Amino acid sequence: MKRFLLLLLVLLLGWVVYEREDLWAFPDIISAYTAKEYCSCRYVMNNDAEYCRGYVKQWLPTSDFSDDSASKTITVSGMGRSNSAQWQSERRGCRLNP
Amino acid sequence: MCKGLTLLLLLISCTVQAEPWPGEQWPTGATITNTEALENYAFPPRDDTTRKGIRTDALLIIHDGQIIYERYAGPTSEHTPHLTWSISKSLMATVLGVAYSEGLFKLEDPAAKFYPPLAKHPDIKFADLLHWASGIDWQEDYEYAPLKSSVVAMLYTRGHRDMAAFTAEQDSYAEPGQAFRYSSGDSNLLAAALKNIVGPQRYPDYPWTALFEPLGIRHAVWETDAMGTFVASSYAYLTARDLARVGLLMARDGRWDDQQLLPKDWLAFNLTLFKGYKAHQDEAVPGGQWWLNRPADGASSPWPDAPPDTFAALGHWGQALYVIPSEKLVIVRYADDREGSYRHNELLKRVLKAVRP
Repeated sequence: MKRFLLLLLVLLLGWVVYEREDLWAFPDIISAYTAKEYCSCRYVMNNDAEYCRGYVKQWLPTSDFSDDSASKTITVSGMGRSNSAQWQSERRGCRLNP
Repeated sequence: MCKGLTLLLLLISCTVQAEPWPGEQWPTGATITNTEALENYAFPPRDDTTRKGIRTDALLIIHDGQIIYERYAGPTSEHTPHLTWSISKSLMATVLGVAYSEGLFKLEDPAAKFYPPLAKHPDIKFADLLHWASGIDWQEDYEYAPLKSSVVAMLYTRGHRDMAAFTAEQDSYAEPGQAFRYSSGDSNLLAAALKNIVGPQRYPDYPWTALFEPLGIRHAVWETDAMGTFVASSYAYLTARDLARVGLLMARDGRWDDQQLLPKDWLAFNLTLFKGYKAHQDEAVPGGQWWLNRPADGASSPWPDAPPDTFAALGHWGQALYVIPSEKLVIVRYADDREGSYRHNELLKRVLKAVRP
């Protein structure tokens, strides 16, 4: 039993090392997705704020959502990461901040 | 003789004028009334809380260059530049077609010639990228496999600053030009190559000067990554009426009024099925960044109730631009379908039933 658990742990560690890039990036998805697609929903498609909050809702929770309407910048946190997106211009729409 | 010639010229000019084109506004034709079955399918009661079922935002039908049906739902109106998602890929192909007409590149050119970071994949040709057949390893799932999804990583995490470079860094899984694998990365490599094809001076305005302005499209948005490269895979926004202008251009063999905007051989390439495609690999049959209703690899046509010359630009969550040249039809459908119950064939069947007398 012990040897089995050890083997499982080694396999798990191996998987973590093998997938480290994707695993490290993974927690950014929800906040980046929410910030970018909310920005475009609100300032490119010109839908109202309440509709856009529903539009970007996913099964993972987000927190600290802020929409600075003066600079058209959206900042969102989720899974311990924070991302922001900003409206650029009439033709360029929104973009995630680098 | 002279009289006869004048009469002939008059006849020709009358025929030309009889072909309606949109000016600043679309002309309106005889509105269809037999729409109950169509609307029952496209516009069931809408629930923005559960987001279940078919959720059409816009349905616009153009027949012979005139609006014959138009309806909007949810927050979308005729003024909304709606997200087109992967319809953007077909739009980028159309923009590239104008660059092709300038003689700036050839389909057989190596893509690395115009996008040097592709040096790792020197044998990929433009034709391969247009066929989604670069051979570059790619996972296109959005919601169901977020950890391994290349497209999610490209749009939101590791790739969002420079999407083409992110794609070019991936390993290959097949020889270029041999196998179909739908890839948003391939489309963004095309957008990056366009930068050197037309030059960095013209690039930022090129979709507008090459395509949108000649077609009278006034409110297009095309988002870029941090390198200023258009996100050709996903992020073009147009009103339904403006997207229909691109459909009309395609329905009329790349001609807009008296101007041949797209070369005929470019269009023929777009609308010829890619031979490396295997049956049922995708929901329709790939041409050159457009989707075709053709039998392929032993399988029957993907939309059996639509004519075989039907083709489409398709996007995530149910976005669609359908073109049926033989019926003089252009159909734009925008949506927010969050589950996969919508069927292209069912909509096309009901549209055809409503428009045929």
